[in-house]
Amino acid sequence: MAEEFEPRIVAFLCKWCSSAGSDLAGVSRMEYPPNVVPIQVMCSGSVSPLYIFSAFNKGADGVLVSGCHPGDCHYIKGNYYARRRLNLVKKLLEYIGLEPQRFQMSWVSAAEGTKYTQIIKDFVKELKPLGPQTKLRRNP
Amino acid sequence: MAKIDDLKEEARKLLREGKVKYIIGYGAGSNGWLAAPLFIKKPEDVDKLVWDPTCVHNLVRFLVDEKRRKARQKQPDRRPVGIMVKGCDSRAIVVLLQEKFIERSDVYILGVSCEKAGVVDDAKLAKKLAGKKAKTIEVDDRNLFVITTDGGKIEVPAEELLAEKCLECRANFPVIYDVLSGEKTKRPLEKPFGSVDKIESLPVEERWNFWKEQLDKCIRCYACRSACPMCYCDECVVDSIHLAVSVDTTADEKARRIKWIQRSAVPSENIVYHLVRAIHLGGRCIDCGECERACPLDIPLRFLNKKLEKEAKELFDYEVGFDPDLPSLISSFRDDDPQDFIR
Amino acid sequence: MEKTLTKKAFPQWVKKLTSWKVYVPRKDEEGRWNYVEADGEDISLDVLQTTLPPKKIFFPQSEVFLEFAKSLEGDEETLEVKEVLPAAEPTVIFGVRPCEARAAWLLDGVFGGEPKDVYYWRRRDQTTLVGLACTPPPSDNCFCTSVEGSPHAEEGSDILLTDLGDKYYVRSLSEKGGALINAAKGLFEEPKAEDRKKVKAVQAESEKKIKRELKGARAVSEKLQAMFDSPLWDEEAMSCLRCGICTYLCPSCHCFDINDEVEDSTPLRGKRVRTWDTCQFPDFTMHSSGHNPRPDKASRLRQRLLHKFQYFVQVYDKIMCVGCGRCITLCPVGIDIIKVLDKVKDHGA
Repeated sequence: MAEEFEPRIVAFLCKWCSSAGSDLAGVSRMEYPPNVVPIQVMCSGSVSPLYIFSAFNKGADGVLVSGCHPGDCHYIKGNYYARRRLNLVKKLLEYIGLEPQRFQMSWVSAAEGTKYTQIIKDFVKELKPLGPQTKLRRNP
Repeated sequence: MAKIDDLKEEARKLLREGKVKYIIGYGAGSNGWLAAPLFIKKPEDVDKLVWDPTCVHNLVRFLVDEKRRKARQKQPDRRPVGIMVKGCDSRAIVVLLQEKFIERSDVYILGVSCEKAGVVDDAKLAKKLAGKKAKTIEVDDRNLFVITTDGGKIEVPAEELLAEKCLECRANFPVIYDVLSGEKTKRPLEKPFGSVDKIESLPVEERWNFWKEQLDKCIRCYACRSACPMCYCDECVVDSIHLAVSVDTTADEKARRIKWIQRSAVPSENIVYHLVRAIHLGGRCIDCGECERACPLDIPLRFLNKKLEKEAKELFDYEVGFDPDLPSLISSFRDDDPQDFIR
Repeated sequence: MEKTLTKKAFPQWVKKLTSWKVYVPRKDEEGRWNYVEADGEDISLDVLQTTLPPKKIFFPQSEVFLEFAKSLEGDEETLEVKEVLPAAEPTVIFGVRPCEARAAWLLDGVFGGEPKDVYYWRRRDQTTLVGLACTPPPSDNCFCTSVEGSPHAEEGSDILLTDLGDKYYVRSLSEKGGALINAAKGLFEEPKAEDRKKVKAVQAESEKKIKRELKGARAVSEKLQAMFDSPLWDEEAMSCLRCGICTYLCPSCHCFDINDEVEDSTPLRGKRVRTWDTCQFPDFTMHSSGHNPRPDKASRLRQRLLHKFQYFVQVYDKIMCVGCGRCITLCPVGIDIIKVLDKVKDHGA
C-alpha cells in the first residue's frame, strides 16, 4: 500500500497561551494528528519572519504561529506586533506564489486545548492534497 | 526641467562658509551615462553640478557611508553633509530620520523638483538611441524629452522614456528639504502600485513560475543590497559577508554564527534571500528603484519590494517616507489592525 | 586547418554536434544577451556583449567539492568524505569574443599552476571555445587593443571565426577545434586566396573601430607600484557602492570562497562548496582576530586595480584585464577603470 503523504508542520507556540493550550490538549488525552513539530517561543511577537522562511527552507510543509488573544498577551503588546508583522509575511508569501494554505496564524489561549486540536486537524487536512513543499526547500 | 542656479548658489555659500563638509550631487558621468555621483569640497567645483533626466541615482546611500566613515574616525568632523535629492530620494532621508539612523542636523538637503518630468530608464534610452551616443537630454515645455546626439535631436514623449518608478511616482518634489529648486507642480500619474497589481492578478502557479524564473538568474552579487540606502545593517542577517567582528568576539561565537542561508546561488537560497530582504524593507522601501537598476541581470526587484509598500497602505493606512515623526511600520500597531487571516 | 563555412550552413554545423553540449548566445525579450544551451532555435552570432561572460560555464558560480557524512554504528562514529568531481561532458561555446577567450587563457594560467585545480580543469579540458572576431566591437566601452588583446586575438580560442559577410572564415587553433570541424566535414569548403585577403582586411578594419583607449597600460603598471599610499584612491572610491558587480561580471576575475554547507547536524551531513567571491566585499580580507587590512572602499578599489594591472603583471607577465568594458557599462555609479588609470598616469606629472 502506498504511503500517504504526511505533511510536517512547524508550529511556533507562545509559551504563556498557545503552548499551554497544546499541553492542555495533551493532558486531556485529546487525539490529534502527530504532524506537528512544536517550538515554544516566549511570545508570538518574538517570531521573526526569518524563522518562518527558514522553516520552509528546511523542508516544512506548513508553518503555524499561535499566540495569545488580543488584549491577553503576557507581555501586553507582543501579539499586536505579531498580528501586523505576520500579516505582511503572509501577503509576501502569497505574492511569491507559495500556496496560501501553508502559512497560518491563530489565537489559542491556555484553556483552548480543543481549539488547538481542531486547528491542527484542519491544517493537516488542508495540506495533504497540496503535497510536499518544494518551492522554498533547500534540497527538494 | 528645473534650473538649479539657485541651488548652486546655495551650495557655493555653504562651502565658502564651511557650513558643510562636502556636497553630494550629480555631475557629468563618463561611461555612456550622462550623470554620475559627484562629491564637491571646494566652492569653485560647484559649477560641475548638473541636473537633467539622467540623474537617476539615489544619493542617500552615501549618507550611510558617511556615517560609517565618522564611526571609524577618532575625532570626526560633525558638520553636516549637503546632499542633492529628488522627491523619491527625500523619502529615503525621511525613513532614515524615522529610524534615528541620522539626525536632521547631519544633512543639509538641497531638494530638486522633477516638476512634470522624471528620470530616464537606461534600457529604454539605449533602444531609442539605437547605437548613437547622447550628448545631452533635456525636457522642454511640451513635456517631451529632447535628446541631442551627434546626428541631431530626437524628441520622445515622456511616457516612452521615463523610468518605471516615475510612472508610479508618489512624490515628484522633495517632501523634506532645506532649499528647493524648481516648482511644486503635480504630475499626472499612472495608477499607483499598478506594477504590483499586475502580478497579483496572476494565479498562484503562474506567480511562482514568474518569480522562480527571475530569481534563478540571481548570482548573489548583493548589488541590490549595496545600492539600497535602507540596507545599512553592519551585519546583514541573511548573509554575513560583512560580519562585525571585534577583538572580543570569541572563536566559539564566530564558529557558531547562524547561517540562515547558504552562499551557493541555488534557487531556494536565492528566493529566501530576496524574501528576507523584502520583509526587512516592509514599511521602509520608498521605491527609488536602485536595486533593480543596479542588478546586472535585470531582476525585477521593484515589484517585490513594492508589494509591501502597497500592503502598508492598504492594510495599515501607512504611507512610507513622508513623516519623520511616524513610528516605523512594524514597531507600531492599531487596535483595529486586520485579523481576518487569523483563526 | 583553415576552412570557410557559409552562414546558411552554420546552423547545420551546430545541429551535427550531437556529442557536445552546445552553448550559444541568445537575446531575451528585453534585448539582453546571455550564453544559453542551444535548443534547436535559430542561432545568431550578431551578438552584442553578453551580460555574464562564458566563465560561468567552466567556472560556475557554485560548485560542490566534496560531501561528508557521519554515521553511527553501535558505538563507533565514522566520517565519510567523498570527493565530488564535476561530471563534465564535452561542451562547446559559440560566439565567444576574443577578449573572453583571452580571459579564459589568463584563468588557465592561474588554475593551472601548482597545485592544479582539478575542479576547474575537469570542465575546462572538455570545453571547446569557438571564438568570433569582433567586427564591429560589441560594446561602446571596449578597449581590448590597449591591454595587449585584439578583436581577432587567438589566445584561449579553439577555433576563430571571422565574419566575411556571407560566410565565416574558420581557423582551427587546436585539436579540440579540429575535432569540432571534423564532426561536420562536408559542410566546410577550402578557403580561396580572396577569402584570406578579405580576412586580413576585415581584421585590420576591426582594430580601428575600438572606441576607447587606455594609453600605456604597461607604463601604468610600473607607476602603480609607487602609488599604494596615494590619496587618489580615496577620491575615486567615494562613489563606490561596494556592490561587487565589476568583479562578478569580469571575465578574468576569479576569486572564490569555500564554505561548508551543513544540511543535517545529527548525524552530521553536508558538503563543501566553492562560490564566487569578490575583493569588494568588506569581509573578503577580514581576519579571525577582527583586523581587516582593507577596511575601506579606497583600499579595495586600489586592490582591484593593482591586482589586474600590477601584481598579475609581476607574477605572470600578463595584464589581467581584457578590455571588455563590462565593469564600466554596469557600474551603477559610473566608476570608469580607464579614467581612473588615466588619472594614475597623470598623477604627479
